Amino acid sequence: MADFQTSTHRQHWILSRQDLAQKYQIANQRAIQMLLKYGATRVEVQQDGSLVYPGTPLETERNGTERHTSLPEPLTIDEEFLIRRYYELKIQQVCAAFAFPNKIQATAVLFFKRFYLQWSVMEHDPKHIMLTCIYLSCKVEEFHVSAEELGKGIQQDPQVVLKNELTVLQGLHFDLIVYAPYRSLDGFLFDMENFVQGTNNSSTQKLQELKEAAKFVVDTVILTDCPLLFTPGQLALAALRKANLEERAVDFERYLQSLCDRHPKHTFKELTLTFDAIDTTVDVSRQPKEADLMPIDRKLKYCRNPGLQDESKKRERKVKHKSKRVSQDTSMTTTVDASPMYVC
Amino acid sequence: MGEGAAPKPPRPAWLQEYELVGKIGEGTYGLVYLARSKKLSSRGVKIAIKRFKQSKEGDGVSPTAIREIMLLRECMHENVVKLVNVHTNHLDMSLYLAFDYAEHDLYEIIRHHREKLSCSINQYTVKSLLWQILNGLNYLHSNWIIHRDLKPSNILVMGEGEEQGVVKIGDFGLARIYQAPLKPLFDNGVVVTIWYRAPELLLGAKHYTSAVDMWAVGCIFAELLTLKPLFQGLEDKSGPNPFQIDQLDKIFKVLGHPTPDRWPTIGHLPHWQQNKSLIQGHKYDNPGLHTVVQLSQKSPAYDLLSRMLEYDPTKRISAAQALEHEIVLNCIFWYSTSICSGTSIIVSVRGDRQILRYFRAEPLPGRNALVPGQPGEKIVVYPARPVDASTDFDGISSTQSSQIPSSNSAAATSASATAAPVGATARPHQQMPIVGIQRMQNTSMGTFNVNAQANIPVVPANMYLHRGPQQQQQQVHQQARRREAGNMQNTGSYQPPAKSRRM
Repeated sequence: MADFQTSTHRQHWILSRQDLAQKYQIANQRAIQMLLKYGATRVEVQQDGSLVYPGTPLETERNGTERHTSLPEPLTIDEEFLIRRYYELKIQQVCAAFAFPNKIQATAVLFFKRFYLQWSVMEHDPKHIMLTCIYLSCKVEEFHVSAEELGKGIQQDPQVVLKNELTVLQGLHFDLIVYAPYRSLDGFLFDMENFVQGTNNSSTQKLQELKEAAKFVVDTVILTDCPLLFTPGQLALAALRKANLEERAVDFERYLQSLCDRHPKHTFKELTLTFDAIDTTVDVSRQPKEADLMPIDRKLKYCRNPGLQDESKKRERKVKHKSKRVSQDTSMTTTVDASPMYVC
Repeated sequence: MGEGAAPKPPRPAWLQEYELVGKIGEGTYGLVYLARSKKLSSRGVKIAIKRFKQSKEGDGVSPTAIREIMLLRECMHENVVKLVNVHTNHLDMSLYLAFDYAEHDLYEIIRHHREKLSCSINQYTVKSLLWQILNGLNYLHSNWIIHRDLKPSNILVMGEGEEQGVVKIGDFGLARIYQAPLKPLFDNGVVVTIWYRAPELLLGAKHYTSAVDMWAVGCIFAELLTLKPLFQGLEDKSGPNPFQIDQLDKIFKVLGHPTPDRWPTIGHLPHWQQNKSLIQGHKYDNPGLHTVVQLSQKSPAYDLLSRMLEYDPTKRISAAQALEHEIVLNCIFWYSTSICSGTSIIVSVRGDRQILRYFRAEPLPGRNALVPGQPGEKIVVYPARPVDASTDFDGISSTQSSQIPSSNSAAATSASATAAPVGATARPHQQMPIVGIQRMQNTSMGTFNVNAQANIPVVPANMYLHRGPQQQQQQVHQQARRREAGNMQNTGSYQPPAKSRRM
């Protein structure tokens, strides 16, 4: 769709920072309440479409305080962010392993982000949702991969991929067209070619290198909150500005000025401030190390399925040992395997 | 948030939002139901609910449903069907798409004129329908969407109500965004029902454009004028992607042979090369589109039609251009100029030059295509869609008529539609479902009303009342109706034998 302005992406999925924070908070709070109420946070969708928290309902009035002490500790909002970020990177890795076109990973990451605007990772297992997002993204981008193929490639049961498909579609409110910044990048580079005067081989070459560098920047940018806060055009320009610091392919300020001259809706100052905001958001949200994630992941497992906690006390040493191995090995399959499946 | 111990409701909760009226269609993807909203804000509003079965290979939600949802969620235009809601059934992974209900479609309207009224569709209606189709298509194309499956049964027309006579382009199951596809568009197999398929597709073009939709509109325009499909080729169904020589043959017979002169890039098309002897060997004389559609070659309608049916897709008129279509008359002058300049139709004028615009000439197109603005015009009342009220939402029949074998499902349709009045209790039974009596409010339509009633004994509403050897013809009609009622793909007499669906 050419008209981004009237798109569902523009209308429903670009939020203010306040709204974004509020949504994360609501999801987190609800999961915590369910933990208090049912003793577990995971939610299941029944065949009639209704939701069920399959933990044992706790008689909070009478024995609440008693049980509280033994309840697993819920994730904080920040911890939830780290978990999501971990799986978003995983999406990129899986898509790269399958050599999918770039757009597919971008759409899948955006689907994942949009889904977890309404749900907490404590409610819907991010590992499963991640796979479903990839699968759905392939369908939407007309790059059809069967659930079986996808499952085989990552050593997962295809049913895991399929079982959440409707849930994810609903979580996305059936808004399926995603505008990734890569296409905007192409557009701006095309425009820059006209802008760079006396285009010769060396300047074309430089612009090409700038494009590749900017693509890498975008890959990182979409792992942050930025795609939920800014338009793809803003993200692409911010990435170009950042990449150009090293590549020095164009006089970016002059280019931006010419862009503003041609599109009087935007001012140089306003755009610069937007790019600064994007850069800052990217800088403050670094990729967590896997070793740091292990304790959070364990917390996540326990509050989704408290039964594991008691069992694990016996095997705690084993788990520790295992986590060490995992943190050294960053390959996708190992880590996916490393988190035990809580097939409900 | 359900309680863990609560007994499972047998059906999805959203079903309570609707009162099911019955089944109105069936396709490869699933079924279409008619329902009435029970919501306070829209109580009684008719909704068409399209159920998409899970894709067969155990691969989750149907890609056709996904495609239709994702495009229609972004679309907001008066001449594009409105997706009002999407519901899910987790039990069998099916999706239910709820649309604003359109009582008519061009397939039924054309058929009604051809078989019941035996008279052409009035100029005002043809022009209004065409204008609105183009208006919707222009919106889609400017949003980089190719419909790819335009045909009369996909052009819906709203029935009685605030939007009466408004065209809605429907069925986006094959539509695609053509802006930078990840795979060539060809990968999905050949699309567009063969009769409305553009010549570049028939000749094996791998990349095609929005011009394929304009070809289909041209075919629909001609069909509105003549009540017959313009190019009724026999589909070759051998193999995955057979060369459709008969369809091309039908086109060449009317439009003449395409030549590299008229279509410079034709030589690049696979089938033009591979089937040289088959296509190029044949001689086609008397190209006579104007005789087929019975229009003067100087009329703006003919000019517009011939530009839609231009062989070269790059020269074919676009939806936007068609809406602004004009023809400069004083032909000798114009043609000589255009040969000299090679391009423009700007002519230095003498007094006798005349610019004709199809859509600016009387009768002017209107929003209500079914009811002309001018008083005194006849108003045709089109039959309501047949409804099979014996069906349940899940496709399970629940009444006695369900005992009729499924191949006969429309026998159940007419029977049950008669027996179980569909929300219009005052409707005289014997006139169902041929004439939508409920919509008759205007006395000026008398003639047509009489016509329609005169038809009743010929085409009985309830076949059980009219069985007899002398009525073979009705049986044929009945069968056609029956097939259509049970099959949204319209395998009736004037529909292509089959269409290729991808995936």
